Amino acid sequence: MTSKSEINLQNFYVYNSAFGQSDGEEDKKILFYYPPKTDFDTQMKNVGLSEAIVKFTDTFSSDQLCEALHTQKSRQLYYQAEGGFWMVMTVGIPFVTKVKDGTEYFEYQSDDVQDNVYLAVLRQSYQMFRLFKGSFTSILSNSRGDVIHLKHKLDHFFSRYLLTLKLNHSDILDIFQGIQFLPLDKQTFLHVQCFVNLIEATFAQVKYTAFLYNDQLVWSGLEPEDMQVVYRYLVTSLLPAHLETELQGGSMPRHPSSPFLSSHYGRFVTGPANLQDASGGTGKVPKVYVNNDATPEIYHLVVYRALSATVCLFIEGSLHLNLDLFKRLDIFLGPQLTTLVSEVAEQCGRQAAGINANSLDPSPKFVYFNKLNLAQKSTVHLDSRRTGNVAVTPEVLRLLADINADKARMSTTGETILKTMTDYWVVGKVSNLREFYVVIHQKNANLIEINDEVKRLSDSQLKSIFFHD
Amino acid sequence: MASKGLCQERNNTENEESEIVPDFEPGASLESMLVTTDSFEELEQEMDSSFDERQMKESTTSTISEIQEELHDTTIPEDSSSDQDDKLIENDEVEEVASQLSETSLTSNEEGNTAATPVGSLPEEEYWQNPEWKERKKHVFILSAAGKPIYSRYGSEDKLVTIFGVMQALVSFVQTNQDTIRSIHAGNSKFVFLIKGPIILVSVSRTTESVSQLVLQLTYVYNQIVSVLTSSQLTRIYEQRRNYDLRRLLAGAERLIDHLLNFMEREPAFLLGAVKCLPLTPSVRDSITQTIVQTCGKIKNLVFGILLAKNQLITLVRMKKYFIHPADLHLIFNLVNSSESFKAAESWTPICLPKFDSSGFLHGHVSYLSDDCQACLLLLTVDRDVFFTLSEAKQKIVEKLRRGNCLEAINESVNRASYTASQVGVPEMRHFLYKCRSTAQFWSPALEPPYHVTEESERLLGLYQALHHRLHAASRPLKLLHQQLEKETMLGWVTSGFELYITFEPLVTKHSAINAVNKLLRWIKKEEDRLFILNAPTF
Repeated sequence: MTSKSEINLQNFYVYNSAFGQSDGEEDKKILFYYPPKTDFDTQMKNVGLSEAIVKFTDTFSSDQLCEALHTQKSRQLYYQAEGGFWMVMTVGIPFVTKVKDGTEYFEYQSDDVQDNVYLAVLRQSYQMFRLFKGSFTSILSNSRGDVIHLKHKLDHFFSRYLLTLKLNHSDILDIFQGIQFLPLDKQTFLHVQCFVNLIEATFAQVKYTAFLYNDQLVWSGLEPEDMQVVYRYLVTSLLPAHLETELQGGSMPRHPSSPFLSSHYGRFVTGPANLQDASGGTGKVPKVYVNNDATPEIYHLVVYRALSATVCLFIEGSLHLNLDLFKRLDIFLGPQLTTLVSEVAEQCGRQAAGINANSLDPSPKFVYFNKLNLAQKSTVHLDSRRTGNVAVTPEVLRLLADINADKARMSTTGETILKTMTDYWVVGKVSNLREFYVVIHQKNANLIEINDEVKRLSDSQLKSIFFHD
Repeated sequence: MASKGLCQERNNTENEESEIVPDFEPGASLESMLVTTDSFEELEQEMDSSFDERQMKESTTSTISEIQEELHDTTIPEDSSSDQDDKLIENDEVEEVASQLSETSLTSNEEGNTAATPVGSLPEEEYWQNPEWKERKKHVFILSAAGKPIYSRYGSEDKLVTIFGVMQALVSFVQTNQDTIRSIHAGNSKFVFLIKGPIILVSVSRTTESVSQLVLQLTYVYNQIVSVLTSSQLTRIYEQRRNYDLRRLLAGAERLIDHLLNFMEREPAFLLGAVKCLPLTPSVRDSITQTIVQTCGKIKNLVFGILLAKNQLITLVRMKKYFIHPADLHLIFNLVNSSESFKAAESWTPICLPKFDSSGFLHGHVSYLSDDCQACLLLLTVDRDVFFTLSEAKQKIVEKLRRGNCLEAINESVNRASYTASQVGVPEMRHFLYKCRSTAQFWSPALEPPYHVTEESERLLGLYQALHHRLHAASRPLKLLHQQLEKETMLGWVTSGFELYITFEPLVTKHSAINAVNKLLRWIKKEEDRLFILNAPTF
C-alpha cells in the first residue's frame, strides 16, 4: 500500500459572537486565528460557518453542545471553553492514494481521526492556556473588558503551543489525561511526605508541593484536576526539554566555583541557571493559575531537580522572587533530595526487576485508568513522551478509544472483548470509575482463554483493585 | 479456520458438543439469486473516496436496455432504435407515473398528504420553535441542491423554510472548499448529510445509530425516490430547471418514504443487507417455484417473479444472468407494504430498481394471490404492454398452487407463530440474527419478552446496530465482539461464511455463550432448508 498522509492541523481559532454584534465590528469576535497568515476573508468565512453550525445544532438539541463537524477531507472539533467562548480545531483526514481504472484518487481514512481523542486534545489546549494565562473571563475582567489584552495572551500562548501538538500520536491517554503514580513502600513514601512537609514548614511562601520520580508522581498537594494539567506540562514538555539541554551541555559540573556545594546534584529547572552569578537573574519562572473553577490562585512554579527526582514548588504569586530565596532553597533541597532520590531509586529498581517492557515482548499489554484519583498506567506505551513509541499497532490503539467511546452505553460496569482481523484480542473493562484495557496478540486463543488471561493480568498488576466479573 | 477463535474447544470432555468444523456455514448455497456484495461496505468506500463515480456509471450500459437488446437480437435483429424509443417513452411516462402512483398504489387519503402529519395544531410559526417537534427521535429532510424543500418526515415543508435554507447553506459552503459535509455531532444527536446528485438528504437523529448506518438509511430514501422517478429522470429535471419543485412529481411517494423510514426502524434486514424468507418445507417451496417457472417460462421479457408474504420472501425466480440486490428487494417489500390498494385489485405499476438499473423502469404486475391467501406476487418485466399476459399467467399460477395445496401451506406458515429463541434450547439466549453471507439471507426468531414491546424491540435493534457498526467498521473490521452490557450480553461473530449476532442474559458465562453458539449453529443447519432458499431458480 502507498504511504498514508499525516493528520495535520489545518486551523485553530477562538471566537465569541458576543463581541462582534454591531455592524462593521464583526472582526472583533475573532480572538485568535491560526495559521496567522490566513487572509481576513477566510477567517471570517470559517468563523461564520462555525457560528452557523453551532446555531443549527442548537435548534434541535439545545441541551447538547456541538462537538464535531465531519467532512470528507477534514474534521472540525468544537469546544465551548467558557460561556460564549468557542474554540475550534480543524485537522486534515489522512488519505492514501489509490488507482482505479487508471485514474488516481484519494481514499480518506476518516476513522483514523477519533472525535473523543481530538476533542480531548482541544480541551487540553484550553486547560493548558488557563494554567498559564488564567481563564478568558478573568483576563477580560482584569483588563476591564478590553479584548486586546485577551487577544494578546491567546496569541502569545497558542502560537507556540500549537506547534507542540502531537496530533499523530494522540490516543486514549489524551482522553484520560491521567497521572502515573509511583507506588512506594510505606517507609519510603513517608520519607517523601516528611520531606515535603519540611519544605512547606521551612518556606512559608511555598503553598503546595509536588514530588515526581522520573515521569511518575509520588506526592502532590494540588487539587487533582490542576495536578493533571501540571503533570502533563512537566512530563511531555518541561522535563524532556530540560533533559535535552542537560544532555547537550554534557557533564558540566553544577557549581564550578563552589566545591563545598557540589556534594549534591540539585539544580533548578525553572529558575536561575547559575546561583553564583547574580547577573543571570532569577531565570524564567512561569506563573500558573490554579483552582480556576472556584477562586483562582496564582503561583510561581519553581521546579527543582536532582537526578531523577523533581520537586515542584508553588510559591505565592504576589511575592517577588529573588536570588536569595533560590539560594536558600538550593541549600535546603539539594542535599536532602539527593539522599532521598537514591532511596526511591533503590525501591524502584527492586520493582522494575519484575517487569521488562520491550516492544517485541508478546506478553499482554494494558492501559489502566482510575477516574477517582486520575491514576493511569500503561504498558502499551513504552514511555510517557507521547511520540508514538507504542507496543501495539495504531489500529489496535484506536480500538481502545473505540471501546472507550462505547462506554456510555455500559452504565457503571461492563466489558468488551473483541478480536481483530489480524488476531489481536482487545479487552476493555469498566467498573465504576475504573477502566482497564488489555491487548493480547495470540492467534489460537479462544474467548475463555482470553478471559482467563485478563483475570491473571489484573490479579498480578492491579492487586487491590476489584473488578466485577 | 475462522471459527477457531470462538469455538475451538480443547477439552471436549466437559463440553459434550463437538467442535464446529471450520467451513460450517448453515444456509450456504453455491448459487444465489441475490447480489451478495455488502451494501454497507460498498457505501463506506464510496463515502471515503474522492473517486468520481459518475464517470464510471456513464460507461456502464443500462441493464434494462441490455435485456431488451438481447431479446431484440434474437427476435428482430434489425431493430436497433429500440433503445432510443424507450427513452422517448420514458419522457412521456414520468407525469403519468406520478399520477399513477398517487392514484393506484397508495392508500386513499393522498389529498391530505402534506397536511396529514402535522405536529399538534400549530399557528403560523415555523416548527423549529416547537419543542415537541424538536424532540422527535429522528428527523429526515430532503431538499434540492438549490435549497427547495422536497420532504420532511415530520411537519409540512412549507413551515420549515428556514431550516431547509440553513441546511442548503451548510452544504454549499463546505462545497466551496472542494469538500463534502458528512455529519455534525452534538452529544448523542447526529446530523447526517448525504448529497446525491441534485438532491440533499439530511437525517437529524438522537438514536444510537452510527453515521454510516444513518447514511445507509438516507441512501435507501434516495433510492426510494429513484424507484419512483428513475435517476436519469431526476437528473434531467434539475438540468432543465434548477429550481424545480420536485414535490409535484413525488406527491404520493411521500407515503412510501414515511413508511420506509418506519420500516427501517423495526427491521434488521436493512442493517444486514439481507432478506428473510418465509419458513416452508422444501417440497412446498419447490413446487411453488416450479409452478411460477412453468407458467411464466414462455413469457418473454419477464425479468423477475417474486412471491412474498409478511415481509418475508417465499420464492424468487429470475431471468438467467440477472440478479436482484437485497436493497432493491427491500424497496419492493416497502412498496407492497405501504400500498393497501394492491389488495383490492391487480395493478400495473412502473418500478425502477435503483441497484438493478437506476436509469429506467421495469413494469410490475402486482397482485395478492387470492382473498384467502395474503401472499403478494410481483412479475417484473421490461415490456410495458404485457399486462394481460401476466394477468392471465397469475390466474394460472394461483389455480395450480391451489390445486397443489400450496396456498394452504403458505397460510399455515404465515399464521403459525414464528420460532422463538427458546425453542432452540439454549436458556441463556434471548434472541439472535443469523446472516448467511453467500446468499444474502438472514433469519431471526420472534421477539419474546422483554423485547415484545415496541420500546424494547427498538432498543434491541439499537444494540444490534451498535454491534454491527463496530464489527464492520471500514478501517478496523473485527472478527468477534463480545459485550457485557447493563441489561444483556451481546456477541457478534463474522466469518467468511456467515454473520451471527446473539443477545444473551446479562450474566451469561463465556463458556455457556460458546456452547450456545455451537448449539445454535447446529440448529440452524438442521433447519436450513426450511429457513432459507438454497437454490436460485431461473425462468
